[in-house]
Amino acid sequence: MNLRTRRGALSAAGLLGTGIALAACGGDSASGGASAPAASSGPVKLVYWGAFAANLGKAQEEVVKQFNESQKTVSVEHQFQGSYEELANKLTAALQAKQSPDIAVLSDVWWYKFYLNKAIQPLDDLMKAEKVDTKDYVDSLFNEYVQGGKSYALPFARSTPLFYYNKDAYKKAGLPDRAPKTWDEFAKDFAPKLKGAIDPKQFVFANGGYSAWIFQGVIWQFGGAYSDKDFKMTIGDPKGVQAGEFYRDSIKAGWSQSVKNDTDEFKQMNAVNIINSTGSLVGILDAAKGKFEVGTGFLPEGPAGFGCPTGGAGVAILSGLAKEKQQASMQYIAFATSPKVQAVWSQQTGYMPVRKAAIESKEMQDFIKTNPNFKTALDQLPKTKFQDSARVFVPNGDQILSKGLERILVNQEAPSTVFKEVADTLTKEAEPVIKARKALGA
Amino acid sequence: MQSLRVPRPETTLTPPAPRERSRDLLLFLAFIAPNVITLSVFSYWPMIRNLWLSFTYWDMIAPEPLWVGLDNWIEVLTSATFWTVLRNTLVFTVGSVGITILIAMALSLLLNQKRRGRNLVRAAMFAPAILPGSAIALVWTFLLAPYYGLISQAATGLGMPMTRWQNDPVWAMPTVILVVIWKSTGYDAVIFLAGLQGIPRELYEAARVDGANAWQRFVNVTVPGLSPVAFFLTVTSILASFQAFDIIRVMTGGGPVIATTTLIYQVYSEAFVGFNAGRAATYATILFGLMLAITVVQIRMVEKRVTYE
Repeated sequence: MNLRTRRGALSAAGLLGTGIALAACGGDSASGGASAPAASSGPVKLVYWGAFAANLGKAQEEVVKQFNESQKTVSVEHQFQGSYEELANKLTAALQAKQSPDIAVLSDVWWYKFYLNKAIQPLDDLMKAEKVDTKDYVDSLFNEYVQGGKSYALPFARSTPLFYYNKDAYKKAGLPDRAPKTWDEFAKDFAPKLKGAIDPKQFVFANGGYSAWIFQGVIWQFGGAYSDKDFKMTIGDPKGVQAGEFYRDSIKAGWSQSVKNDTDEFKQMNAVNIINSTGSLVGILDAAKGKFEVGTGFLPEGPAGFGCPTGGAGVAILSGLAKEKQQASMQYIAFATSPKVQAVWSQQTGYMPVRKAAIESKEMQDFIKTNPNFKTALDQLPKTKFQDSARVFVPNGDQILSKGLERILVNQEAPSTVFKEVADTLTKEAEPVIKARKALGA
Repeated sequence: MQSLRVPRPETTLTPPAPRERSRDLLLFLAFIAPNVITLSVFSYWPMIRNLWLSFTYWDMIAPEPLWVGLDNWIEVLTSATFWTVLRNTLVFTVGSVGITILIAMALSLLLNQKRRGRNLVRAAMFAPAILPGSAIALVWTFLLAPYYGLISQAATGLGMPMTRWQNDPVWAMPTVILVVIWKSTGYDAVIFLAGLQGIPRELYEAARVDGANAWQRFVNVTVPGLSPVAFFLTVTSILASFQAFDIIRVMTGGGPVIATTTLIYQVYSEAFVGFNAGRAATYATILFGLMLAITVVQIRMVEKRVTYE
């Protein structure tokens, strides 16, 4: 934006207003092929938008490649679109331009928005035609996408938060080789010992990344919740505030730091404990190879016991496709979520296998035996719960909650004030959703 | 539009025949059409549409925006966020534009002297202006990175506490401003340099003959001589700073919380993070009005004090 002549300046001033309109055209340059009708001969061509980078991206490419090689009637083109947020952003623009892909990865906080706007289609008939064994999906993960008796996505890259610790630091501090059982134990016993043993440039615990997802677990551990099922915002209630106080104290007491990217800090051995997605597991293990030992554990318990949310992404089919494309899309999704593919995908990433048969497979069971960290993640899965509607159903709920947490962690503001304001904002932002749900008869 | 009229040959002293006049008009329209059409399609129509959007609620997926009247305006103007963002915008603009212009002027005076290697220094100084803002932001993020970044290591070496420059509520804004200054100083300095070389030598000689010392020559000859350039730079830099996005997007994402969120960044985050087109349009309209007002004031009031030759 260089405005060095007056005319340039004036037209730029004009352009400014166009920000929305213009940017809405951006970002989907790659999807041109999506709307072109498939030729009658040759395979049905599909465009699939993914959101996985680095080792996850490689694993994703592999899944698509295998699918394309496994049959001759459908050819899927995988297009990486950035983070979950960037993908949702581009998809919104693409829908306006009527240039959307056929299949898209949608994260826990995004798919519902597209569902409410009827931008993704129900899968039940397609699943039946494709003979997908819906009973074999892990029930809780499958059911999260069921609305009004119909499935709108299938779980694909599903994860849960996991507690990661640097084993070398634990050894140095004379701690047992396990994650803390409770926050109390961590704050009063582990943290001071670790602080005394680690380098001055290291710190005990890093907070960052999808903070409202991690805190979803913490607020449950303290007996609170972001909201109830009917969108009554409860984050400002005493239990929620107590969890907020605990977060603020962790910074004040000096054992936690608020960072931009907690995974990076852990990989670089700056932070010796983090809570992050199981989907980061393989990336972390690779980065730590030869540098330090990684341990994992369940999330620590709070005064109200254990709490851990599910998360990650599912795969959905966009509305309005030609019949043959719909079925072809289902064919790909059925393949990507099949027990065989899920077992491999899971080992390469750390995402939870979404199929019971994949978990029980000999391949997976053998793998777990030599990779105890995977076992921790899998063992924790049955104890996890679906997230509160405030984060996953309210538009922008995740951002509103994260900003609130940042105010507590970075600005050290009082949780009672912050959470009350957050609850008010969420209540307001939930109005259109409640209206839309009523219209859909939910 | 005087300058756009086609010059007629001097021989036609009689008023043009009606036919000729209409041909003139057609020619005139043909010349302005490309600009008028592109501006209308890409500037004026979106501006009108944007104003209309500010009276709606729209998540950018629903087929039709929903008319909500003044809701967005009331909500925005009564929110604490708006006032914080406005303050951030002012701090950012005054900080980046003011300091850049002062440093640039000083640099140009230095580089206007005949010294060895000054062309090399001029070129080096100008370099940041042609680099993309996002690349600059990434390099600075590297330099500022906690623990291993060059600047952080130097700072801790000097006994300063470890600071997360980009994630600190106090330091984030100064850090962003610093990078913007680094990027734009070179460009401004080159423009100043051109301005300096446009000041007639005779004025300095005359001043010297009149017994003016170096400081007096600076105040009475250099400063007025530079005022058109300074005015031009101020107007364009203020407008540019209102729209500065790339560096903020990459370095802080408007954070921590909203410590580095300026008006334009707020437009972006309302629209493309929160998907609230109505509220984003409201902020965009406010931003537009503010820029228009500032430019008008500058041209009406400040330009009077500019000395053109």
